[in-house]
Parts: sequence; structure tokens; C-alpha cells
Amino acid sequence: MGDEKFKMESRTFVLKHELPVSRVEKYWKGLEEGKIYGTVCNSCGAKFSPPQADCSYCYSSDMEWVEIGGEGEIEAFTQLYTYPQGFDFVEKPYVIAVARFGDFKVMGWFEGSGDALPTIGQKVKAQTKQDESGVWKIYFTPM
Amino acid sequence: MGKGRRVGIIGVGCSKFGIRDELTVQELAFEGVKEALEDAGVTREDIELSVAGTAGTRSYELMPAVPINEYCGFAGRGPIRVEAACATGSAAVYTAYTSVKAGIADLAIAIGFEKMNEVDTPTSLAVGGRSGSYLWEFHQYGTTFPGYYAMHASAHMARYGTTDKQLALVAVKNHRNAAKNPKAQFQKEISLEKAVGSRYVAYPLRLFDCSAITDGSSAAVIASEEKIKELGIDNAVWIEGVGYSSDTANMPKREDYAGLKATVEASRMAYEMAGIEGPVKDLDVVALHDCFTIAEIMAYEDLGFCKKGEGGKFIENGDSDFGGKIPVNTFGGLKAKGHPLGATGVAMFYEIVKQLREEAKDLQVDLKTYKGLTHNIGGTGHFGWVFVLGV
Repeated sequence: MGDEKFKMESRTFVLKHELPVSRVEKYWKGLEEGKIYGTVCNSCGAKFSPPQADCSYCYSSDMEWVEIGGEGEIEAFTQLYTYPQGFDFVEKPYVIAVARFGDFKVMGWFEGSGDALPTIGQKVKAQTKQDESGVWKIYFTPM
Repeated sequence: MGKGRRVGIIGVGCSKFGIRDELTVQELAFEGVKEALEDAGVTREDIELSVAGTAGTRSYELMPAVPINEYCGFAGRGPIRVEAACATGSAAVYTAYTSVKAGIADLAIAIGFEKMNEVDTPTSLAVGGRSGSYLWEFHQYGTTFPGYYAMHASAHMARYGTTDKQLALVAVKNHRNAAKNPKAQFQKEISLEKAVGSRYVAYPLRLFDCSAITDGSSAAVIASEEKIKELGIDNAVWIEGVGYSSDTANMPKREDYAGLKATVEASRMAYEMAGIEGPVKDLDVVALHDCFTIAEIMAYEDLGFCKKGEGGKFIENGDSDFGGKIPVNTFGGLKAKGHPLGATGVAMFYEIVKQLREEAKDLQVDLKTYKGLTHNIGGTGHFGWVFVLGV
């Protein structure tokens, strides 16, 4: 015990933020209806996923909501074995992937049959549901 | 050299990297700063401007620039606090460099520091994951930084056939080098079998594909050519080129995952400024951003050391080892020396300056062109910084 370093603990400090999402409300409400939305700039045609309320290219704020869906293709993925704080509810390694649906890409959790991992180029469809912590998100399943 | 007057590095310092839980952030920063001032042969009173770089959040001291600045005796002269995720150290050097280049100061110090072990691993992973794009990525999907690089690895491996073994060879090389670096967190070699057999952290990346969670500090004293002459210093290392870039915060907004565009753009900018025509031919030694083994393989390609897709073969052939085409991460890299975010970029200057002054002891490379390179990435190419140094 003589080698133990002298240490103290800080006071507890809880950081929990309010998320100011009113300008992208349609995206979050859409997830609850099984829909995934991106935005398209009505001025220059730039496409955004995740959606933006303002165009980073032409600076217009005239944006249109468009639905993303159909057949997607996996472009990158990982399976996480170490979980960050906030994901304590997870019971087994989860798979995060990025898939392309036409002109848009989205991130989601992949759920294959059993423990099968996706492959790059695999065709998937996207659906939405709540995870165990109550957060709505996108899930990919094989076509 | 670019426009304006020449600017050189006249002193470097680096703390021992590792779990430094006996030190406050001030005491940790002091360790690197003290060595840098002694190395430069100047005192704290000579410093006109300090730049304090830290990514922050993992330490109990949330705005540590003023506390460390005061502790190092620079109160009243700075600090400018900079943050660029894992590339914070390069942003700190750049800020000090441009201040000297512009003639606002003749002698400035860039200090990079990070205390990462005051919180537990799930908290540290959350800080990293939340630093990509909280609302669109972490909030929903629980991204972590090993996970981000693992996604890039999945794309690189699928497209180019890069293997587990090639990834592991990066770790084996860098641990072999770190074994001879007294500043390194892991001063021990690892076998290829141990690396490829280690558990997954974020598939396809295994434990030994990942840098650890490290505390450390580093500092660089930066001076104008006039000041260097006035001080009678004859071993300054000159900043001959600098390049910077960045990319999207959101993964779905990236065009491609098999490389980092920020590396390509930053390196081309630095090469042009420094007159580098072929990096392999023109550079003697490189410190590049190997926070994960796949990052080193992608960087060989994106820095132009080999063709796109041939990074796996580059490590397999020994091209990045001592005696190879271009020795990379001779000090052990972030992988084995350690990656204390704010300190990392400045510590790359420490290692390249030591090489170009032929003071790297057991890790010294043969110098022919007397030029070296630092490549420092924040996030997964969210920030990209490249410097060319020469004597």
C-alpha cells in the first residue's frame, strides 16, 4: 500500500444538454413515422443528409424536405465492442454502418440474421425504430 | 519558405507519455515547457507569446489554458488557447509560427498538453465519440473514435485487400521503435501473433491496432531568423512548409472512406511551399498520425509515399522502417509512444527536431536531405495539418 498515490475525487458534475432541433423537427418526427428525410436546397440544388436548414454552398435558407429510401448499399461499417458512456443499455456489440441511398447517405445500426456482419456493397433497406433508451434511429437490414 | 521572414524552432521539450495520474495538468505542462526552454537556452522572461493547445473535457480543469500558462510563468504573455481535436498541437504550433512570421512576436512558445486519464474509459470514449457530430451521429448511434477509424478500415480493406496482418505490422514496427524511446508510454516490443490475436475493440480494429489513452505534454520554442541570429543559435530547425485542410464532421457527407482528403490537400499545400517534388526522395524522416494502424496505412497513400491502395504492401515490404524507402514514426508513433491529443502534434515537432539535429540516439535515421515531415490529423480527417521542417 506504500506505493499508492494520494488522490481525491472531484465533485460530481452532470452535463445534460437541451437539443435545439426545432428547425429540423421534420427529420426527428419523421423517424417516429418510419420516414427518413434529407433536405435539398431550392436555390442551388445541393442535397444534405443529415438535413440542414441552411445551404452551406449558396447560403439560401429555402430548403425542401425529401424522403430517403429504397435500396441502399453499405459503404463502411464497424462493430463496437467497447461502449461509450450513455450506451450502458447495450447488451451486445452493435454494428454502425453508412449506406448510400441514391444521392444521399445515412448512418444507421445494422441488424443482420444472427450475428452476421454486413459486407461492403451489401444491399440493405432502412427502417426506423426506438432503441432501448427511447431514442429513434435508423436500422439497416439486408434486402 | 513562403512569404515573409524565416521562422525556426530553437527548442523542444516533451514530458514522459503514459498514465501520469500523479500530476495536475499544470504540473504536466510544466514538464514539457521546462525542457523546451532549457533546450532553447532561453528563460521564461524571453517568451513574448504563449499558445496553449488542448482538446480538453477529460480533465477536471475545463479551461486550463490560463492555469497552465500561469504555472509556467507566462502570465501576461498569452495564452491563446487553440483546439483542433487530435490535431490541436499542430494548430498551436501554427498559431505561434504565424505570430512570429507576421512580426508580432520574435519569440513564442507552443504548448500542447492533455490529461486523459482523470475519467474512466466509457467517459473518454463518449468524449471522443461526441466530438464528431453529436446530434446526427453519437446521439443516435453511439459512435466512438475507434469506430470511426474502423469504418474507414472496412472500406480500405474491402477495396484494396488490406489485411489484418498488414494492420498489425504497423503496430509491431511502432512498438519496436517505442521500445527505444524513453518518453514512450509502451517501451516494449510486441509480436505479430500477439497483435493479430488481440481482441476486437471496433471491428476490424483490434486492441493492438489502437493507440491508448495517454497523458502528456510537449512544447516548442519558435523564433524569427533575426532573433535566432541575435541569440547566436546555430542549430535551429526551419519551418519550410505548412499545409492545412479539413473535411466534413458527418460521415454520410464524405465522398469516400478509403482515405483522408484532408491529408491529401494539406500535404500538397505543404509540399508546394517547401519545394518538395517527391516526398520519398526529398524527406529523410516522417512523423505521421497513426492513432490507429489503418491511419498509418492510409497516410502512406494520401501523403504520396505510394499509390492509393498500396499502403498495406508499403508496411509489409519494410518501406517505412529504418533502412526502408522513408522511415516513418521512428519514435514509436502515436500507437506506442502515446497520443495525448493536444500534445501529439507538438510532440511530432519534438521528434523530428531531434532527428534533424542528429540527437535521436538509438532511433537516429541517416540524414541525406535534412528534411522531415509532421502529419497530424484531428478526428478522421476532420482537421489535417502537415509541416515540412529542414536544417
